[in-house]
Amino acid sequence: MSNLNPNLKKMGNYASIALVVIGITLIVFEFFVHRHGEIALEDLPFFPAIYGFAASIFIVVVGIGLRHLLMRKEDYYD
Amino acid sequence: MTDITPGIFMIIAAVIVPYLPHHIRQIFTLGAIALSAFCLSAGVGVHWSIIVLGQELILHHADNLTLPFGIIFHIAAALNVIYGWHEKKAMEHTAGLAYAGAAIAAVHAGDLITLFIWWEATAITSVFLILASGTEKANKAAMRYLLVQVASGVMLLAGASLYWREVGSLAFGAMELGGLGTWLIFLAFGIKAAFPLLNGWLQDAYPEATILGTVMLSAFTTKLAIYAFARGFAGTEYLIWVGAAMTAFPVFFAVIENDLRRVLAYSLNNQLGFMIVAIGIGTELAINGAVAHAFAHIIYKALLFMSIGSVMYRVGTAKATELGGLYKSMPLTMIFCIIGAMSISAFPLFSGFTAKAVIMKAVGYEGLVIVYLVLLAASAGVLHHSGIKIPYFTFFGHDSGLRPKEAPFNMLVAMAIASVLCISIGVMPTQFYQILPYTLDYQPYDASHIVGQFQLVIFAMLAFTFLMRFGFYPPEIVSTVLNSDWIYRRLLPRIGSPVLSVANKVSVIVNDIIVSSAKKIVIVTLYVYQHPLTGPVAPGPAAIVLLSLLMSVLLLVNLFS
Repeated sequence: MSNLNPNLKKMGNYASIALVVIGITLIVFEFFVHRHGEIALEDLPFFPAIYGFAASIFIVVVGIGLRHLLMRKEDYYD
Repeated sequence: MTDITPGIFMIIAAVIVPYLPHHIRQIFTLGAIALSAFCLSAGVGVHWSIIVLGQELILHHADNLTLPFGIIFHIAAALNVIYGWHEKKAMEHTAGLAYAGAAIAAVHAGDLITLFIWWEATAITSVFLILASGTEKANKAAMRYLLVQVASGVMLLAGASLYWREVGSLAFGAMELGGLGTWLIFLAFGIKAAFPLLNGWLQDAYPEATILGTVMLSAFTTKLAIYAFARGFAGTEYLIWVGAAMTAFPVFFAVIENDLRRVLAYSLNNQLGFMIVAIGIGTELAINGAVAHAFAHIIYKALLFMSIGSVMYRVGTAKATELGGLYKSMPLTMIFCIIGAMSISAFPLFSGFTAKAVIMKAVGYEGLVIVYLVLLAASAGVLHHSGIKIPYFTFFGHDSGLRPKEAPFNMLVAMAIASVLCISIGVMPTQFYQILPYTLDYQPYDASHIVGQFQLVIFAMLAFTFLMRFGFYPPEIVSTVLNSDWIYRRLLPRIGSPVLSVANKVSVIVNDIIVSSAKKIVIVTLYVYQHPLTGPVAPGPAAIVLLSLLMSVLLLVNLFS
């Protein structure tokens, strides 16, 4: 994080705050909109939010694991 | 004139393209594409067929399934011409035009032999887009690409011949997986559609092509395979599972890949998975979904490749480790990139949303809960690596210190057109759905769906932010991530070389034996010749040798007759 220029850092902060605000708004919306999905599971409260968050974490964790297994030097095939 | 197969005019024009001066060539190319597109107006039916060796070859067959692919292939071809306007060398323009033409002609093939001819033509023309890079690495990747593509073509031809023997027809229509013939055809399509484990060529070759070449490649080859599956194997249940695996696996690779064009190649693969699942379901709703997704996908994928290509054009690299902080110097490219990213991530009001919604509905309608959950997770994954990673590491992230100029005007125009198309498809679903093969009465925009989709994408983004802020996100590392091409680039040569060296030794020994016995035979023959039976010394050793020779010849003749 040391080589972040201050502008980028500021933008990052704003973007994070904006995302959190939108996230909270969407959670609030859940109480006003009768949300239903294509499958029964999706009708559970906050399902897309929880699933989207969890799936992303899962993907990154598996990705990190995959690095140990499949990552080689850049000139591996040369 | 509309009886001529769409695409043919483009292939003919490609022959002239190298001899034209720069700007005239680009205008001429657009003209050829327009003329070819005019042939799409022929309407449903068989418009051109010829008899060869007693077989009817249907060169131009059009119906509701060929039309959307025909339209989008022409749009993609035209976008490529604009995007590559600055390029003065003719090689990519020639190859690209012929390649697009071959793919369009393939879509209109009414029989398997015609399909095979164009199938191979796409391989042979497109390989020049990789060779045009001119580097040693690209040349090798191009040869691997060509081998895989030609293998797919050979399997298609073999499958078609067997299918003809089994069924007695070469017509390219719905097929049932059963005999060897249909399996070979299925696998031939599967290679081109980059099925799991057959996908290595895609991530291997596409990022090695030229900037323009990669954009061209992204549109045609794999979508031709999608079309072929939709026509030949709609409703084949295997495809549901293959497709689900296809949406999932590339996601993990894309997260850790450093070359951003390779990240996009993985995400292309993942998007094909959605289409394959829908084709596997095979209902009218699902086929509509697959076609809608292919249509929208070609545009936003091209847009993403274009934006990364523009960056590469300016700074000479597409590696995440060397990019970052370009938002200020290439603001328009950044905006177009984000539009592409939001489209592929299926944000409401963007094309991915209206297209993918149809597939998800079809999956949900069939009650395929596990597949549905895999696709939903894969959607979050797409958002992750294409939606966030691509723009983040290029335009934001850590500052690379690079301050290039904005992309050339022609590139910006091409990206602007693609962006307008992405948003138009996103905001006008009803009009968009009208080009689909079957009538579709569906409205993706209701409060429930919008809130649900926003929750999915925003919370996936929050997960990224969370991981970034707390330093859990895997840093970009200069590296090679092994993919299924490892099987034929490393495993097979490693296993193969000892086998080959043993075989080589055996052949040397056998050779020696043959050579030395040949020498002995010559010596013996000479001896016999010099000591004839009729002579002062009879019978003598010569007679015995001659007798034994004759006896063994007789014995051999007797054995083998």
